[in-house]
Amino acid sequence: MTAVLPTALPSVTPDRPAAAPRPKKRKPVAVIERATVELADPLAPVVVRASGLVKRFGPTTAVSGVDLEVRAGSFYGIVGPNGAGKTTTLSMITGLLRPNAGSIHVHGIDVWAKPVQAKRLIGVLPDRLRLFDRLTGAQLLYYSGTLRGLDNRAVRERSADLAAAFGLEDALNRLVADYSAGMTKKIALACAMIHSPRVLVLDEPFESVDPVSAVNVTEILQKYVASGGTVLLSSHGMDLIQRVCDHVAIIVQGTVLASGTIAEVRGSATLEERFIELAGGRKVAEGMEWLHSFSD
Amino acid sequence: MVAQLLRLKVRLLGNAFRRSPWQIVGVLVGLAYGLAIAAVLVTVLVGARFVDDVTLIRDACTVGGALVVLGFFVMPLLVGIDDTMDPRNFALFGVPTRSLAGGLLVSSFLGVPAIVLGLALLATVITWSRGIPETLLALIAAGALFVTCMLATRVSTSLASLLLSTRRSREFTGAAGVLVLIICAPIGVLLLNVEWSRYGLDLVGGLAAILGWTPMGAAWAVPGDAATGEWATALLKLLVALATAGLLWLAWVALVARMLVTPGREAAARQYGGLSWFDRLPHTPAGAIAARSITSWGRDSRYWVSLIMIPVVPVLVYIPLTIAGVPEHYLTLLPVPLMCLFLGWTIHNDVAYDSTAIWLHVASGTRGVADRIGRLVPTLVVGIPLIGLGSALSVFFYGDWGPLPAMLGVSTSIFLTGLGFSSYTSARFPYPATKPGDSPFAQPQASDTASAIVQSLTFTGAIVLSSPALLGLLLGIFVDPYWFMPALYYGVAMGLFVLVVGVWRGARAFERRGPEILASALRA
Repeated sequence: MTAVLPTALPSVTPDRPAAAPRPKKRKPVAVIERATVELADPLAPVVVRASGLVKRFGPTTAVSGVDLEVRAGSFYGIVGPNGAGKTTTLSMITGLLRPNAGSIHVHGIDVWAKPVQAKRLIGVLPDRLRLFDRLTGAQLLYYSGTLRGLDNRAVRERSADLAAAFGLEDALNRLVADYSAGMTKKIALACAMIHSPRVLVLDEPFESVDPVSAVNVTEILQKYVASGGTVLLSSHGMDLIQRVCDHVAIIVQGTVLASGTIAEVRGSATLEERFIELAGGRKVAEGMEWLHSFSD
Repeated sequence: MVAQLLRLKVRLLGNAFRRSPWQIVGVLVGLAYGLAIAAVLVTVLVGARFVDDVTLIRDACTVGGALVVLGFFVMPLLVGIDDTMDPRNFALFGVPTRSLAGGLLVSSFLGVPAIVLGLALLATVITWSRGIPETLLALIAAGALFVTCMLATRVSTSLASLLLSTRRSREFTGAAGVLVLIICAPIGVLLLNVEWSRYGLDLVGGLAAILGWTPMGAAWAVPGDAATGEWATALLKLLVALATAGLLWLAWVALVARMLVTPGREAAARQYGGLSWFDRLPHTPAGAIAARSITSWGRDSRYWVSLIMIPVVPVLVYIPLTIAGVPEHYLTLLPVPLMCLFLGWTIHNDVAYDSTAIWLHVASGTRGVADRIGRLVPTLVVGIPLIGLGSALSVFFYGDWGPLPAMLGVSTSIFLTGLGFSSYTSARFPYPATKPGDSPFAQPQASDTASAIVQSLTFTGAIVLSSPALLGLLLGIFVDPYWFMPALYYGVAMGLFVLVVGVWRGARAFERRGPEILASALRA
């Protein structure tokens, strides 16, 4: 396993012409490219269908009418600036957050009407929620598996496999409370997969995970997708999305501004450029000259 | 630097008001408490100005004052204050150590304990305003004391955060602190029963003579000694007091310097073998949740505090009742039902103790019944032997085996109805609890009237529903032993009934309100 991440992306040209007079104004109704999904198998059934999702927290609307269609066997990425509503959307899809309006179907089962059946099909990695961190890694895996209805033997075998795959063997007998951020992420990922769900919904799965582990995890996920599983993940890492995902949706201010295959969404530019354009353009840093004359 | 840090502290205090209305209430209640204490102290101290027994006042001040200084030093160690003005927070700003130390010290003057102390110290100046030199000495001593107390808090807080930087040691001291405070309560009760009128004065005088020469009490004795005419002693003690403040200052500066270059220490992780409880209990969701609950009870300091409280509560009730003259004969029957009451009540907010980790139960569609029953298991493990052995021991000491059935009935009823109520409320009305890993003293950020209602409802509910069994016990003792058996039948039947209903309703609430439970954990 190489420790180096392939830098597949031609990076964004660092200096754009500084002549750009003022930051571009945000256009919320930018081109919506909701083309029919075309991928290896464009006729694959839709496994996650969210329509008209709305979530309000008091006066603020976090998500206003999100529609998503994720087909079986796709590796679907959601990107968006901070506070765009990615986590809120994923929480509603996984049955952790009750939407104000809209519906979610996973393999045809309405998540909010038949939660128990739907949740069996979904593996979840939430972002910024605690784990039962007074358990050791092994206990947490066992706990997650048993809650998902696996029998004793299956849980043990799968725990061992997952620990090996994620490189957690040495940490299994330590309390999760004593794990580093990246290890916590990995054990949570392992817990999300232990019941071999049809759909994996992962919120920021690569945050604070080291490059070697990230490559490992990516490989595991790619094999999972190749065998018919579906991954829906959110990330800030444009580079990563472009490299591992085949579909992408860009969410800004609680609405989907573009979605489709990577090629469709990015057009002739890179995904990052397209994203920045949709997300409101780059702010040109003016009046920062003092930073270039050091204070001592 | 001082001005900046003061402004920061004011801003931090101000922001506490902006979080939620209940936070404001909390701050105001704290302030009102503090001011009330200050008012009492000031009244007493000013009143002491007009008392002529100078020696008595001096000795009382010295003993009381020494306790205050000790308190300022010890409390942060026990309570483990979450220090917003931790020197390490300023490590990246490159402030000179000495001015940072001074600024942090001055900013600590803003706070309820400091204000109360300041007012009380000003009042001591009035107490000793019996002549110009006395007043001057009192003023200097008061200043030295104020600085000493503030420095003591800063030093011990910093020591605590430097030495107790691992998660485990922090939690352990938190729980130990609770234990110490609880043990202090009976000592207080005992002290109240010393025949103060006969021995009190000698005791205080003897203590003051010793404490007056220690760093804790010296400054308090200075003006008193001056007022009694012992000027040489007064000046020597003043020297001790000033040296104390000076040494504490040096220690504080050294600590700041040390902390600025010492980042938080990594916890030395311990290895745990195997799956422990998960292996021993059934391999089902309910079994796993039970194993997880038992594991948490063993590893989480918040549960330790609940467990420590249970045997202590009867003691706290027992002592005053004995003193009040209730015959000990009957009191032997009291501890077991009381412990059952608290044990049943312990888990009335259990779901909130999981904080946001409860998402796992929600996301995996855990059956409510499995969740409810799993959480009952640790209390049952403790409660069943407690009721059996405890009741037997109680009637053994009572000296008559007759009331045993009624004792079993009352305890079972209180315990199981308590668990029934808890099973329902912890799913239906979770309210903010101390977060995992926080000090058991740390109060949750937002608590409201709903939580108070839930607490009192689960508590009184168990008592009310068990009162017929209790009545049977009393009738059996005082009227006719015939009533002992009905108390047992009623207690067991009522307990089981409420438990089943509570688990059933709680399970329904848990399944329907999973996302809402998670949302309330996120808000907390």
